[in-house]
Amino acid sequence: MAAAAEMQNTDSKQPPLPSDVEVTPVRSSADRTAFIRLTYSIYEGDPNFVPHLEMERRDFMDPKKHPFFEFGEVEFFLARRAGKTVGRIAAVSNPRYNEFQGTNVGFFGLFECVNDAGVARALFEKAAEWLRAKGFTSVIGPMSYSTNGEVGLLIEGFNTPPAIMTTYNPSWYAALIEANGFTKAKDLYAWELSSSTPPPEKVARIAEKIRQREGVTVRPVNLKDFDAEVARVKTMYNSAWEKNWGFVPMTEGEFDHLARDLKQMVRPELALVAEVKGEPVGFALTIPDANEAIKAANGRLTTFGLPIGLAKLLLATRRIRRLRLVLLGTVEGYRRRGLDAILYLDTLNKARELGYEGGEISWTLEDNHLVNRAIESMGGKQSKRYRVYEKPL
Amino acid sequence: MSDVFEKCRSWKDYRIAKATGLYPYYRAIEESYGATEVQIEGRRIIMVGSNNYLGLSADPRVKEAAIKAVERYGTTCSGSRLLNGTLALHEELEQRLAKFLNREAAVVISTGFQTNLALSSILGRHDIVFADRQNHASLVDGIRLSFATERKFRHNDLEHLEQLLQQAAEKEPKAGKIIITDGVFSMEGDVCNLPRIVELAQKYGARVMTDDAHAMGVLGEKGRGTSEYFGLEKETDLVMGTFSKSFASLGGVLAGPSDVINYIRHKSRSVIFSASMTPASIASALKALEIIEAEPQRRARLLDIAEKMHNGFRAMGFDTGVSVTPVVPVHIGDQVKCFRFWKALHEAGVFANPVIPPAVEAGHALIRTSYMATHTDEQLDRVLDIFEQIGKKMDVIPQTRPSTYTPVQIARPGTMVRNNKASEKWAAASEGHNSHNGFTLDQLSRMSSREVAGRLFDAVETLTWRAANLQPEDIRKLGQMPMKLWEKRANIPGILLEKGANFFIRNGHEDRS
Repeated sequence: MAAAAEMQNTDSKQPPLPSDVEVTPVRSSADRTAFIRLTYSIYEGDPNFVPHLEMERRDFMDPKKHPFFEFGEVEFFLARRAGKTVGRIAAVSNPRYNEFQGTNVGFFGLFECVNDAGVARALFEKAAEWLRAKGFTSVIGPMSYSTNGEVGLLIEGFNTPPAIMTTYNPSWYAALIEANGFTKAKDLYAWELSSSTPPPEKVARIAEKIRQREGVTVRPVNLKDFDAEVARVKTMYNSAWEKNWGFVPMTEGEFDHLARDLKQMVRPELALVAEVKGEPVGFALTIPDANEAIKAANGRLTTFGLPIGLAKLLLATRRIRRLRLVLLGTVEGYRRRGLDAILYLDTLNKARELGYEGGEISWTLEDNHLVNRAIESMGGKQSKRYRVYEKPL
Repeated sequence: MSDVFEKCRSWKDYRIAKATGLYPYYRAIEESYGATEVQIEGRRIIMVGSNNYLGLSADPRVKEAAIKAVERYGTTCSGSRLLNGTLALHEELEQRLAKFLNREAAVVISTGFQTNLALSSILGRHDIVFADRQNHASLVDGIRLSFATERKFRHNDLEHLEQLLQQAAEKEPKAGKIIITDGVFSMEGDVCNLPRIVELAQKYGARVMTDDAHAMGVLGEKGRGTSEYFGLEKETDLVMGTFSKSFASLGGVLAGPSDVINYIRHKSRSVIFSASMTPASIASALKALEIIEAEPQRRARLLDIAEKMHNGFRAMGFDTGVSVTPVVPVHIGDQVKCFRFWKALHEAGVFANPVIPPAVEAGHALIRTSYMATHTDEQLDRVLDIFEQIGKKMDVIPQTRPSTYTPVQIARPGTMVRNNKASEKWAAASEGHNSHNGFTLDQLSRMSSREVAGRLFDAVETLTWRAANLQPEDIRKLGQMPMKLWEKRANIPGILLEKGANFFIRNGHEDRS
């Protein structure tokens, strides 16, 4: 192992390791603050950047708060040059992923870096060192912290802001990562769908036919019975995604955490459950793109102790005009039978009724042709491309 | 001009401890009931804070020997060993100990502490001493009194020791070298890695000495201590022991090659300028030695008790750390909480010792318990019960017992275990990695108003975020807060006390630096 590492270090293709950059693990609360606030300097002047709420990030990094830490482990690293933070990375050990996929990989995530391949290399080497010590044989990423979280590096579609719970990054990151020996593992697509025009008539006709034939009823989710609905959706989610690349079933904790987050944003009219004879067989979850509102807060709910950000956020929430279709799945036995078409159609009609302009469908796997074709047939245009990288350790 | 006494007058810690009623030291014992129970302030309580490992101090045979010696030789020797203070009894004990410990010679010295000070006579100007960082204070002082150079290695970190040996071999190849370590470490109860130490000593040409104060009479088939336990008696050059623990007396012994011991007898100031061991002390140590040799079942019982107590504590969720011996430390964490815990134990009828920084790292305060072979099972069960009640009350352990725990490995003869795997909490605390919460007034006064405002605004941000994220169940919990507070009302003064005392201690320390 040591010899292999040695060879990598002398690899002439890699950028030189800068001598003035120090990479240290995050230990103190001041380190954590620097880790979170690094984004402000990196994205300065970028109109499409949506800063996370700082507190949300704090909870995300807090082993006591985020359910990932019930089984996984994360080490956060900061790169500093002359006292100034210039980069960050998280090294992630996700035993559930390896168990479910039968692999031995570690992840990297939360990567941010100034445009300097040397700094990036220093970060990747530190993360690799940590992952190697855990016994992993390769690294994939960006992944924070699992495929159920934020996945992939944006490589196409920098001209629009990211939708809620998707990632965004400067265009130069791909070059930084590739210069450090990473290669493509998988691409993910995001689709843009306008709801200003009615759905294609042909699709509508087919969908109605299937609805009649299979006896499908579609109903909005019942928020009053939230816990039972969450349980139903959870079973469907874990079985619907089972065969997908990189999928890992969510733990109770992760699902509850996600459900709690979504509950604040969700509009019941846009969270649809398809049933056949009272049995849930599919669901589609579309949420207002809260990023439009979060952007208004600019990272903080309060300024000088006054709830300025919170007020802006609440005001902007009422003006959200875009949606993101987050999840759409059907249970085994109902695939390739047009159930998804019904869900797309009903979501689109509902969105039109509620006056939304359109939105994003994301993400889909590049090789999930069935889903991608269905979205295209609804009039969806591919708008963004995310890439997951890999590299042997 | 500053006054020498000024530091005594301005010393705050004692006053804080006294004012809060948490001062735990210099407790006067009024009666002893067979050593396992004592009377303090008119109350009879169970003693688990003594190093009387084999319980011999209350043994009628030992007492009788002491009485007879007083009758025959009087109460004191009134002088130093070198001149008028040597009795035939002293020489008999030295010979018997040398034989017991398989050494050429032994010297007995008035106290254990002085025994380690006596080492300074053999540590010369050009010698280098390699010492474990957690060695007993008497070793630290013994080395400091000498003219030798001291190199401390991190506790039981033999890679570090090897680094130091290597450096010394390169830079000062002619220097004499000796590695000095406790056999059993007195606070955390783990055993030194003697096999590796001996290996390194041979590789780098160094001598080895073990301080077996807590090991003699406890470790090894015959109770000869660490080197017997590891089967490395020939490889260990010098052995030190005390009589105040298993030997039911007062004094210490150094055993090793006869020329070394002879030199110490004539050159050590702590030997030649100190009155010798009293006749009673000598006679009781002699009788205790006899019993140690004749009654190995006492040692077996002691180790059984150690195992019972370790596992008893662990089953409740307490952390007993790395210990493999009858020294059973219980991790508490905060030092003021440790005092409160100690006080609650005391009131409930258990005598144990609070150990706080600098004896341990900050944030690693612990309650040290140690046991006697003569403790009864009823006494031990009572101790466990009381610990559980108080632990729950003070939130040191969970309200319901954890479903599993890792049972302890005890240093029984032949097992060669050196320590238990420390929990992460223990390891982090014992290396001093503790998040220090809060800041001192001094730090606050040094912050710019911008920084202070920043912190304040961050606090507001956090509160706003928490409020914005309140879930129905959180609100329910908030609604129950008054009830919970009412239930815990008995604990509130204690918690306030802890916070307040910590605040003063923090700010008190700042003054000195």
